[in-house]
Amino acid sequence: MSENTLSSRPVDRQGEAPSPAAGAPMALAGVRILDFTRLGFGAQATLICGCLGAEVIRVESTTRPDPIRVMPPYVPEPGSHGEGFGAATLANATSAASPNRGGIFYKYNTGGKRSITVDARHPKGLALLRDLVSVSDVVTESFAAGTLERWGLGYPEQVKARPDVLYVSMCGFGHEGPDTAHVTMGPTAQALTGLTFMVGLPDRPPAGWSFSYLDHVGGYLGAVAVLAGLAHRARTGEGQHIDVSQLEPATALSGALFFDALVNGRPSRRPGFPTGNRRPASAPGGAYRAAGEDRWVVISCRTDDQWRSLLTVMGDPPWGADPRFSTFGARQQHAEELDVLIEQWTSQGDRYETMDALQRAGVPAGAVQDAADRLERDPQLAARRHFTMLGNDEVAPLPLEGMPVHMAGTPVHTGGRLHRGPPVLGQDTDAVLTELLGMKPSEVEALRAEGVLS
Amino acid sequence: MTGAVRAEGAPTGPGRGAGTPLDGVRVVELVDESAEYCGRMLAGLGADVVKVEPPDGAPSRRQGPFLDDVPGPDRSLAFWADNVGKRSVVVPEGPDGDGAVRALVEAADVLVHTLRPDAAARRGLDYERLGPALPRLVVCAVTPFGQSGPWADFEADDLVLMALGGSMAACGYGPGPDGYDTPPLAAHGEQAWRTASTYAAIAVLAALWWRDVGEEGRGQFVDVSAHECSASMTEWHCMTYLCSGSVFRRGAHPTLTAADGRQVAALNPDFLGPHVFANMLAMLEDEGVAGPLSDPAFADPGYRAGHYGEVWRAMKRLAAANDGERLYRLGQGAGLPWGVIRSPEEVAGDTHLQARGHFVELDHPELGRTVRYPGAPFLAHGSPWRMDRRPPLLGEHTAQVAGEWGVTW
Repeated sequence: MSENTLSSRPVDRQGEAPSPAAGAPMALAGVRILDFTRLGFGAQATLICGCLGAEVIRVESTTRPDPIRVMPPYVPEPGSHGEGFGAATLANATSAASPNRGGIFYKYNTGGKRSITVDARHPKGLALLRDLVSVSDVVTESFAAGTLERWGLGYPEQVKARPDVLYVSMCGFGHEGPDTAHVTMGPTAQALTGLTFMVGLPDRPPAGWSFSYLDHVGGYLGAVAVLAGLAHRARTGEGQHIDVSQLEPATALSGALFFDALVNGRPSRRPGFPTGNRRPASAPGGAYRAAGEDRWVVISCRTDDQWRSLLTVMGDPPWGADPRFSTFGARQQHAEELDVLIEQWTSQGDRYETMDALQRAGVPAGAVQDAADRLERDPQLAARRHFTMLGNDEVAPLPLEGMPVHMAGTPVHTGGRLHRGPPVLGQDTDAVLTELLGMKPSEVEALRAEGVLS
Repeated sequence: MTGAVRAEGAPTGPGRGAGTPLDGVRVVELVDESAEYCGRMLAGLGADVVKVEPPDGAPSRRQGPFLDDVPGPDRSLAFWADNVGKRSVVVPEGPDGDGAVRALVEAADVLVHTLRPDAAARRGLDYERLGPALPRLVVCAVTPFGQSGPWADFEADDLVLMALGGSMAACGYGPGPDGYDTPPLAAHGEQAWRTASTYAAIAVLAALWWRDVGEEGRGQFVDVSAHECSASMTEWHCMTYLCSGSVFRRGAHPTLTAADGRQVAALNPDFLGPHVFANMLAMLEDEGVAGPLSDPAFADPGYRAGHYGEVWRAMKRLAAANDGERLYRLGQGAGLPWGVIRSPEEVAGDTHLQARGHFVELDHPELGRTVRYPGAPFLAHGSPWRMDRRPPLLGEHTAQVAGEWGVTW
């Protein structure tokens, strides 16, 4: 399948919003999370919980909105994009005026999260939040250490409101230890924990990650903390404070490299390392140029069978029998020469056609895909309904990401238990206060008039 | 059936797992390298994770680097990294082995495997067969592309998954004068596999919650596609394309090079507010390198953006006068999210993580030494992470598990 053909037939998403089996239960049905997270790290954790069916209530502020609600890129005005989403333009930069247009917000706040606005610094606002803690199973937050304490909503206060509360804090350096005042963003934590170092070509400064991988990983561990804490509570009746940092979830991600240095005395900081895309288990292995501008296809042969199949697909070139390439070890030793020969072949072909030809012969291969490829060309993601069309009162449905796992008995849904898109700021304030705290609409209005719900 | 075995069977050991979230939960792991990290996590949460291996061991036991560079099934450091806390049971190949696996699964709460649908069926481990017989069992299959879809039969290792998932396209060096002259780069450490394994652990936890606390008390089948998990980890890239029509192109973050040659990621997140620049300026002045930045004109973000070269030059003056660790702490002292770029093992020297008790020395009695491992991924004082058992020797627990689980083959 050529890329042109594919892009001229974009993946059809009409009617694609997956309909979970009617009435199917969700795994975390009945779990309520009072969610003070912002940005990526903490919000990723509650996104997962929401996709699993927990009721996630974002507590927000109209005066200090989550930065990703107002940061570019901005979601287009309804109707402003033409054929396919790629046709949207940046012309609507004035969208910063709305707290519902920040594009990154839509990455991290699926899961059917609700949104309420409460001024935690107002005594009546604080009282409301304590009341909400009393009817919640879990409290999550991602502020700097000490912030909730200053509000009067630290763990001891939460326990007064709900003795078995599970409190999961997600903060760069955590709440214990000498450096808790340090601030992190994903790239900070990636630098400190060795992740940045592990992306690069030999004898050059690390290239690192161009995105906050550890916002995701930290968020996954935040979700693990919620689930583990709930399991512990179910067994013992006890709540607790679980202190998630952005550093500890990363230390085991380097796998054997950590041990090779500490046990064998072979430091990672050595000439020739990191090795780009070369890995000990592949020969040949790497990203090879394909036809087109900056297009690449990855090939990774882990067995002799795969190597022989690669040669067959390439039309059995004469150098295939060269002793330099006769064994796995020899191919690793002569990787540079081998890569040149392979790239002469790959550079002639379309990346998807090469991938398909190799895969049909049993050779691990894949196009290097960017975001547009994933949204518009990847037939596997489309078939698996990886993206779900969801919008809200202000934003037309977009193909959004959720928890990418399929559970047969308790379906995961990107729109959460409510099957809806990320919330407009404060859209659930009235509903939450009346449903959960039994307030009358007139009482809610009175609080609003006093500025408590801002 | 499984519940009965668990309720009446022998405990997993004196005091083992007590107080952990998954105390008493039995996990059978039948996986290749791609999903071992899942079991490592479940073991840390207190589950009794039994790794089922063929007589010559799991594939990761043959993966280097090895202890002292001498290969051997108990010497693979890749195996150590992802199998700490588990027990190892060896079963024969062929029908006898399949019978043994089935017996273990019947005594377990969870089966995590990496078998394609046809392979699972051949071994009698397809959910169509297991589900009706063992309704409380949670089965989690971690495969490259999941159980369905046009690529379901394709082959992929971590490198291929990093390519298809999108993180690779976004990592690497920026273009030279004639365009990109270096390839997109995948991180080392098998990050796509680790992401899939982590999602698998989350799904298993959720499935156990549903079984034990939800209304039905039933297990279920969980289908994890490593490709989908890998495709979910690039932060704002899909949204950028949806919002702007432009695709993020790779390029390294700018870093400062300190006096000792170490690099420091020196983020300058102006978007967080005017205090960010004000704090940095005060620090640069204290260190005597502010130069023209002290001009009040720089307080205006617009002016600053137009003269960012001056800001960067001041930061470089600071870097040239300090070594990497001090530069990191100078930035952090000013409230800036700076971080010195460490190699994976250099993080073991971090005093903050040490104070949090993160690294754990585990005894390897057969080697007569201890080895330091990265420990708990979070601090949960009420239900501490279990980190007290080194990775298993090949077949070390075959008889022990058979006895404790009441399983014979």
